[in-house]
Amino acid sequence: MSVIKIKDLRKTYNETEVPVHAVNGIDLEFEKGEFAAIVGPSGCGKTTLMNMIGGLEEPTSGDVIVNGIDISKLSSKELIDFRLENIGFVFQAYNLIPVLKAKENVEFIMQLQKWDKRKMDERTISLLRSVGLGDKINSRPNQMSGGEQQRVAVARALASKPQFVLADEPTANLDSHATTQLLDIMKELNEEENITFIFATHDQRVMDKARRVITIDDGKVVSDVVKVNI
Amino acid sequence: MRSAVVIFAIASGLVGGLFSSAWMNGMAIQRVENTFSLETAHIQFHNPQFSENQDVRRTIGSTEDKLKDLLKIDGVRAVTSRLKTQAMAATANKNMGVTLVGVDPISEKEVFGLYKKIDTSSGDFFETKRKNSIVISKALAKELKVKLKSKIVLTFQDYNGEITGAAFKVIGIFKTDNSTWDKMHVFVKNADLRKVLELPEGQSHEIDILVDDYLQASVISSQLQEKYPDILSEDWSKIQPYISFLTDYMDIMMGVFMIIILGALGFGIVNTMLMVILERTRELGMLMAIGMNKKRVFIMIMLETIFLAFVGAFVGELISMLLIKYYGINGIDISSMAEGLESVGYSAITYPFLEPFRYLQITVMVLITGILASVYPAIKAIKLNPAESIRTV
Repeated sequence: MSVIKIKDLRKTYNETEVPVHAVNGIDLEFEKGEFAAIVGPSGCGKTTLMNMIGGLEEPTSGDVIVNGIDISKLSSKELIDFRLENIGFVFQAYNLIPVLKAKENVEFIMQLQKWDKRKMDERTISLLRSVGLGDKINSRPNQMSGGEQQRVAVARALASKPQFVLADEPTANLDSHATTQLLDIMKELNEEENITFIFATHDQRVMDKARRVITIDDGKVVSDVVKVNI
Repeated sequence: MRSAVVIFAIASGLVGGLFSSAWMNGMAIQRVENTFSLETAHIQFHNPQFSENQDVRRTIGSTEDKLKDLLKIDGVRAVTSRLKTQAMAATANKNMGVTLVGVDPISEKEVFGLYKKIDTSSGDFFETKRKNSIVISKALAKELKVKLKSKIVLTFQDYNGEITGAAFKVIGIFKTDNSTWDKMHVFVKNADLRKVLELPEGQSHEIDILVDDYLQASVISSQLQEKYPDILSEDWSKIQPYISFLTDYMDIMMGVFMIIILGALGFGIVNTMLMVILERTRELGMLMAIGMNKKRVFIMIMLETIFLAFVGAFVGELISMLLIKYYGINGIDISSMAEGLESVGYSAITYPFLEPFRYLQITVMVLITGILASVYPAIKAIKLNPAESIRTV
């Protein structure tokens, strides 16, 4: 069953002056549990595509349907609530809250969803252990390496049990060891929790790990390869 | 660090504002208290025609009976009577026009505090039974070139309209904070002046009343006016309208002062919080991206601002309280300006004072300022585009 359906999606900037067609008619579907990478040169439209899938940007035309709901038609308030319940984000620059500990950063989303405290504590500790940070529960971001911070970000993205996780260049600021560690953890969580992961990336290591590689150029899909026996 | 700077700025502004207000307030309070204690008491009785030309024949009758009756009235703390006339004070060196005041040494001390303004080396306030003794000011003594035990001749018109006079020996020299008033007033015993004036017994020129609460003086004065329709009863605000104006003026000045301080504070907070929003653009974008709705972001920014304002207010008020307490006891000495200040009735050593309710008032005003100052930054925060904000460097 498709988690995400994208139909003739378009995004044009500067419509009245010199129009820039960042996304120029894309049709895609993502199934539950997919581990997919969207790749392409800088400026090809992959970040814009990711933003529209995540409800962070409004399409010029076309539909983004998540679990049967056309999110392109939702109001900004409805979109925020939708993101909270359905989408996890991992950003290039980690974007942890610097004054909060790792545990508190992960709990943050569950607090927004008003989880029961005991269940929230259990899930937080379980997630941090899953990402190999059981000993860093009470550490603040400035006490952790880049790789560790990104793993906390992954735990946070999964905290609310989202339908899918959008990861925009998650390995861009990491060294190769941290990258490998992170990707292995994300792959494991993808398989354990059956959560869809979609990456926007230049990183060959991410492409190698992904089961599906979608190549974008000039706002269009130029190839869509599903790997067999990965 | 940024929060510490904001808190320091708020605290400094408040310390400046509160201490200045307390200083001005203290000066005004001292002036008002000195006026009551030395010049007017709270209520005065006169013959209705006495004020026109200070005619010694315009007297209040049955003074002793009135004094006894007044002490039985609720709110009246103490009473005394005085004789008054204009006189010429003369020594071998100089003549000066003065107001000659005849006092009852015992009841005078219950209403007025002039006796406290004579230091131990400057004599006393009619402690002995010596006749024809006089208490003058240091300023007048300097003018007339007299000292303790010197003789001064006073010339004035008596009850029968005849020019008369007597010699008085200086037994006390006082100094108040009002050098102008000091030079104009001299004090003798009632009994001595009555004899020279040939004023009949039971008559006086002035009855002075001290009440428990000076703010009730006008109400009590009106009641007394009805009770004694043949005399003129005036409260301090009518006798010295300047003092009434001063108290009202101080309230307005302090209000204006605080509004200015809080206005500056408010702009400072807005500016700082806008910088905070700018610095935390990426963080705010992330929060909205992961699902923090605009209402929560708005409340978060408001609460941060209010918290900063509150902490700054607390620190500022605590420091102010300590400073005001310290200087309220030890005083602020501006003796270099003593001559100028005393010529208009202000002391060179002032004691800052702020009523306790003012601190609560300031806290509320700072809270309101914090709330108002937080609105614009909070609106800027919720208008951020999450997608663009996340990519901010």
